[in-house]
Amino acid sequence: MKNSFESEDIKKLIPQRYPFLMIDRVLEASPEKVVAIKNVTASEQFFKGHFPGQPIMPGVLIIEAMAQAGIILYKQKFPNDKVLFLVSVKSRFSKPIIPGDQMVITVEPIKMIVKMGIVRVVMTVQEHKVAEAEIAFGSQDAKSA
Amino acid sequence: MARSSVQDEVLEIVSTVIEKDKGDIPLDAHLIQDVGADSMMALEILAALEKKYRIAIPEEKLKEMATVNKIIQMVEAAKKRGK
Repeated sequence: MKNSFESEDIKKLIPQRYPFLMIDRVLEASPEKVVAIKNVTASEQFFKGHFPGQPIMPGVLIIEAMAQAGIILYKQKFPNDKVLFLVSVKSRFSKPIIPGDQMVITVEPIKMIVKMGIVRVVMTVQEHKVAEAEIAFGSQDAKSA
Repeated sequence: MARSSVQDEVLEIVSTVIEKDKGDIPLDAHLIQDVGADSMMALEILAALEKKYRIAIPEEKLKEMATVNKIIQMVEAAKKRGK
């Protein structure tokens, strides 16, 4: 039985809101794996300027979507931990994301402990890998001590 | 022989994660108190060690990873357990 859910339940897990909520639906969620989707539409604000006449989703926002899926994964293991901050990102993009793409984000833990996590993320569009990343996040006190 | 290669490899990992030259990381210096690492970096070092040596390091060991020498001892113990 896959644990899938939609936007109102997603909002209970991550603090981001419009226009920065980058996850539309979670297809699968357990402490070992999260699969989430983000539908990219032509009316996204950022396409107006990135770039005029050639809409391409900014890589930093792709990372944001991956990180939000990472937080959903983290919350499967530590539901009561507070806001986590981005610590480091290693990423590779292989194909641009354009309007109409459905990003499928698969996140698995590399290491997750209280207040910190490192996750591996693979993003596909129509089953082709478009990006991958290793993302580390932690609470503010984990970063400074 | 084996000792020195693990030492080089561990130092390489630590130096990459905390972004300091290997020469600036004394083997007995406390990584958080003396070298400027933080506990997030310790977790990144732990993850990198697990990947490199295909070993499992329980998270309780994080506290013991205070110096490069202690990390080397820990890796060697884990490698022995794995064999």
